[in-house]
Amino acid sequence: MQGETSAQKTETPSLSIVLDERRVAGANPPKATAEKLDFWYGTNHALKNINLVIPEYQVTALIGPSGCGKSTFLRCFNRMHDLQPDTKYQGAITLRPDNVNLVGPETDPIEVRMRIGMVFQKPNPFPKTVFENVAYGLRLRGVGNKTELAERVEKALRGAAIWDEVKDRLNDSALALSGGQMQRVCIARALATEPEILLFDEPTSALDPIATAKIEELITELRQRVTVLIVTHNMQQAARVSDFTAFMYLGELVEVDATSKIFTNPAKKATEDYITGRYG
Amino acid sequence: MEVADPVEGHTSRTVDQSLINLRMHAVEMGGLVIDQVGSAVKALIDRDVRLAELVLSRERMVNDYDARLDRDSLTFIALQQPVANDLRMVRAVARAGLELERVGDESKKIARFAAQIGAASAHDPVVAVARALRHMANLSVAMLRKAVRALDEADPALARDVLASDKELDREFATALRQLMSFIMQDHQFLKATIDTVFALKGLERIGDHAKNVAEQVLYMVEGEGALRAGERG
Repeated sequence: MQGETSAQKTETPSLSIVLDERRVAGANPPKATAEKLDFWYGTNHALKNINLVIPEYQVTALIGPSGCGKSTFLRCFNRMHDLQPDTKYQGAITLRPDNVNLVGPETDPIEVRMRIGMVFQKPNPFPKTVFENVAYGLRLRGVGNKTELAERVEKALRGAAIWDEVKDRLNDSALALSGGQMQRVCIARALATEPEILLFDEPTSALDPIATAKIEELITELRQRVTVLIVTHNMQQAARVSDFTAFMYLGELVEVDATSKIFTNPAKKATEDYITGRYG
Repeated sequence: MEVADPVEGHTSRTVDQSLINLRMHAVEMGGLVIDQVGSAVKALIDRDVRLAELVLSRERMVNDYDARLDRDSLTFIALQQPVANDLRMVRAVARAGLELERVGDESKKIARFAAQIGAASAHDPVVAVARALRHMANLSVAMLRKAVRALDEADPALARDVLASDKELDREFATALRQLMSFIMQDHQFLKATIDTVFALKGLERIGDHAKNVAEQVLYMVEGEGALRAGERG
């Protein structure tokens, strides 16, 4: 996945060597690769030389203390920073298979957001019906046929494990649902346009344990269809849902490895100190 | 990675204190079973029935320590959800407790034999291998003491010392067995006592293995996966 693991301690070998070694350690071929990625908010150098491979159809968790840059990194994938003035990207996030650089100035952010879905911390459905929430992205993409729309909305709601709970309430306002249901409708909304990568930014921090368990179960199922990148402050959540865990600190990627390895025997002391609550 | 004492430095003092308590109980249990081994063998060699009965009466304390370690480590895992070196430490302590409990069992068997063997005769198997029994007891107690200290101080070098000293105990066991075989070939009337003496010697040899297992847990606790170098695991 990334250069700072034991695979790449001595020299800086070519990326392909690292990827081959990571594959042996259980990583699928890459869906996206961040290479020498730097990011600035004005003069604040928020991401420093991030090199990370996101394996396809697997879940990669980003952990680290507040302000370490994990959400900033996540938001680079769908160009959310473009909505803020005075921000700057340098380096590349290459999306396979067509090798488009997601943060390249030549790349249209709207196109990027069509391919990369995002689910936020707080459930944020549109003030519309459940059906319209999920159909919204499809309509934007020009799907006008009512039958096709209904089929794809149902598919997305089933994919987000919420269909059975809302099938009789499709024309009710999404805002009338519970927090956990709203979050799953938001996941359905993101899934409807069939993204290649789904980004989760603390998706359960506003939910109770049962709703959290449902979302976590859903993330585990989703990896069969989509590549997942998740930011979480909940160590146990990262341990439960992810295949790989990356630890970030002060804008740098400190360590990335198989989640089972990170949580039993991390290579870096900084990682161990953080996950065992010895920071600060 | 830099090796640090695994019980300290957490933001949560509850976590520090829970780990300190867990380790302290394991070390106390270690002290008790070390004394059990020494006393059981002394009782056998000296034909001291009262000492043997003392060992037998303290077996319950050993089991209580084990049950407490088991319960406290499980509670810690459930409440604190430890990871990385915290998790390795809790596992090491719980497994060390199990090993020490088995050391207690071996001591109990030796003490039971000591309580039943009766008065010494000039020619009995225990007298025939008394020197080997004493030496094996000293070796196994030294290994145990080092293993428990390694756990207490999170010291991998001490743990490796324990692994290295097991061979001497095995050699001493083989020598004692040969002595007993010669003994029984000369005189069949002590057959049952000879078999019991073989079990006592085997018990001491097993105690060395348990000390080794504790040492391996310490290595895993401090250094993680791959801590054991080729040839160390046995």
